[in-house]
Amino acid sequence: MKCRTKIKEICPTVAKFFSSILSFLVCAIPLMANAAAPHHITIALSNISEAISWYEEHLDCEVIAGRDDTVACGNAEIEFFLGRTVGGSQGTGVDRIGFSVPNLDAKMAELESVGVRGSGVRLVRFDDGSLVREIPGLYKTAFITDPWGTKIELVQDEDLYGFHHIQLNSVDPSEALNWYAQVFGGERASLKGVLDGVVFDGVWLLASEYTDGRPGITQGRTIDHIGFEVDSFEETSTQMSSVGAEFRGEPAVPDNGRSSTRQAFILGPDGVTISVVEPGWEGIEVELVAAASESTELYVVPKTPWGEPDLQGIWTADAAHGIPLQRGIDVAGTDELTPEEAAARRERGTLNSIWGYDREWRDTTLGYVTSAPSTQVAMVVDPPNGQLPETTAAYKELVANAAPRIPPQRARTPVDLGTYVRCITRGPVGMMMPSIYNNGLQILQSPGNVAIQKEMIHETRVISTEYREGFGEGLKTWLGDSHGRWEGDTLVVEVRNLNGRTSYLGSSEDMKLTQRFTRTGPDTLQYEFTVEDPAVWTEPWTGMFNFIKDDNQIELVEYACHEGNYGMTNTLSAARTIDAREAEETEYQE
Amino acid sequence: MVNLFQLIKTLPTLGLSLIIGTGSLVAQEIGDYEPREAWDGNPDINGIWQAIGTAHWDLEDHEASAGLPEMGAIGSVPPGQGVVVGGEIPYQDWALEKRQENWAGRPTADPETKCYLPGVPRATYLPYPFQILQGTDKIMVVYGFAEANRTIHMNVENPESPPLDTWMGRSYGNWDGNTLVVEAQGFLGEAWFDRAGNFASNALRVTERYTPISPDALLYEATIEDPTVFTRPWQIRMPLYRRLEPNARVVEYKCVEFSEEILYGHLMKKEDE
Repeated sequence: MKCRTKIKEICPTVAKFFSSILSFLVCAIPLMANAAAPHHITIALSNISEAISWYEEHLDCEVIAGRDDTVACGNAEIEFFLGRTVGGSQGTGVDRIGFSVPNLDAKMAELESVGVRGSGVRLVRFDDGSLVREIPGLYKTAFITDPWGTKIELVQDEDLYGFHHIQLNSVDPSEALNWYAQVFGGERASLKGVLDGVVFDGVWLLASEYTDGRPGITQGRTIDHIGFEVDSFEETSTQMSSVGAEFRGEPAVPDNGRSSTRQAFILGPDGVTISVVEPGWEGIEVELVAAASESTELYVVPKTPWGEPDLQGIWTADAAHGIPLQRGIDVAGTDELTPEEAAARRERGTLNSIWGYDREWRDTTLGYVTSAPSTQVAMVVDPPNGQLPETTAAYKELVANAAPRIPPQRARTPVDLGTYVRCITRGPVGMMMPSIYNNGLQILQSPGNVAIQKEMIHETRVISTEYREGFGEGLKTWLGDSHGRWEGDTLVVEVRNLNGRTSYLGSSEDMKLTQRFTRTGPDTLQYEFTVEDPAVWTEPWTGMFNFIKDDNQIELVEYACHEGNYGMTNTLSAARTIDAREAEETEYQE
Repeated sequence: MVNLFQLIKTLPTLGLSLIIGTGSLVAQEIGDYEPREAWDGNPDINGIWQAIGTAHWDLEDHEASAGLPEMGAIGSVPPGQGVVVGGEIPYQDWALEKRQENWAGRPTADPETKCYLPGVPRATYLPYPFQILQGTDKIMVVYGFAEANRTIHMNVENPESPPLDTWMGRSYGNWDGNTLVVEAQGFLGEAWFDRAGNFASNALRVTERYTPISPDALLYEATIEDPTVFTRPWQIRMPLYRRLEPNARVVEYKCVEFSEEILYGHLMKKEDE
């Protein structure tokens, strides 16, 4: 896939991390009064405009005129840059950044009501399930993660609202704080007599002891570096030499710098990259190059040697991962996302899908998909407003009376976990849907037949394109009986005889599914699906997305889902452990 | 062909060289039949096929035996003639012991009872139909059980070994006259050959030959090589029959739910507890 967005220049420290994958990068620099000032925090991410909106909406930061990659948050700036995120901030030399709000309980309730699906905010719960904890003598505190993996602490400190602190991880917190005080001239102080820190012009630099080896280096993680503004490099250089630190490279005006201000970098204690700038810093201009316009020549669908439209090959729905089924309110009036917005949406979708996975897995997965993400706003193309039709009164009643879903930790048998987790199927509609991994689709044709093989779970349907008698009434299956025909170059498939044991968004066993596959370009296979289910929706609806040719693959990798379903064993085993623990507690109380 | 099979059954005492020599006998026997051509001039073996016999119970000769007593005679194992050319599978000593262990533990150890992918060649002679689709540069074989599937890459020069082992392995094919020859390798080594516990390791290589012998039958031959388990390569041979019903289909056989009691029963909370 060609990269649609190209960043020409970035802060030098970050440039090497560039790839065609866009991701978020935040730089935060606190400001300093007499000595240096913490000035900016730099966060790497995939979509600057989205990050700016997020920080404006949730943390009351403000846009800075003429600098479309930076927000001002109280006494610090957060600079974002497009860069591949190789992991969140937690566990690096800069573990998190802190913001203070007047009413933390209300803030957390607000974030909870918005929900992760709506905003990408991840709430971190304490062991007892609560979101807010009061630290005696200090303040109330809570933790969230932004959509790009930056850990954020929210506190309720009436002495300082807005940007509040930078929390370092250090093998020797006291020494690290001394280092910053020495080099940048901040004041060693104690926050409310409880936490040792360095205060710079209203921004606290705090440090926790890191006991698990050494903290990760910040460069390349979401908080790529922190920045300080200094009056003169010479003075700072002198201070630095007293602690044995030196600039990496001579201070210089970066390429594409928005002002003539010079910048230099230092590697601080515990793997923290520090940017040092002179007054007047305005960041670096990022230039986006639009993708070359695609050929408008009429595409002629190739034919198989026996004369049928040729849909054969390995295809992937990777590009479609992240397209919501329905048009969101945030894209009202938009026909297409920008490539930057699309990249951010997919990354957010990825993060949301895999939050429960361990961090290393998550971080490698973020950079796994190389195809340019789809810019389509929603899958639903009919109704034209991108919304599913109204559901029927009978269906609403059914939902109102439905038994609550059993959570995984209460699963009695595999049935409680659903057919997807059991590696049976995602159902006739769901099986085609893009997801975080296993998006491969292989199509192979023989005269009069089309085999459609899906990588996820591994399912294959053989569709006859010639008329044939279908299954009788007495034979219904999970994926049903597929009847195919060619309408021009489009393969139309009507699915009948579904057993109704899976449901897509409430679809009933009487659902009629019609699928259309059309090759619209050498590398593009358009897939449309129409759901008619009068018991549930008052009118039919149609969704659409594209599969993209994946010539890097010669076959789908066998996904032996059930054979390797350790998740099932582990989930049920955990549920039984919980049962046993509760039984023990009950006994104890008696 | 009936004569051929009878002949083969009389051969075991004549030794390996003669048995391998039967390959040419087969060629002579089937030489008369000219199969219908596919679009590319090769034999047209598109269609739905099925093995008939008891190879899925045991590749070797076997007497009737008790199976699942609670199912009475339905649960018993039918007797059958073996499909191993030469009669017996040439196991190394340790492997024969392992096969006996497999046999003893088969009600829960057989991957088939767990609804695992059947591997090769077992997928071919499971007692269910499968469909062959001859595409432009690949042939796909779609099996119903556990939704197993194989892609056979045709006419690949210098085929690469697969990057990782899988249940169904990787298959490369070529036409040798009227015979589709498929080399399959890259197996995980966890699949069995039958319900009797016959098995191989991940060093397994299978060379299959699919030869049309009439409009409605293929001769299926598979040579099994695995120097870690067997003392020499050996071969199975059986016909595959076309399913002639006009509405014949490979019906999806999603068997996971029927394996869950065996796999997870000890972790379930039953309603009556």
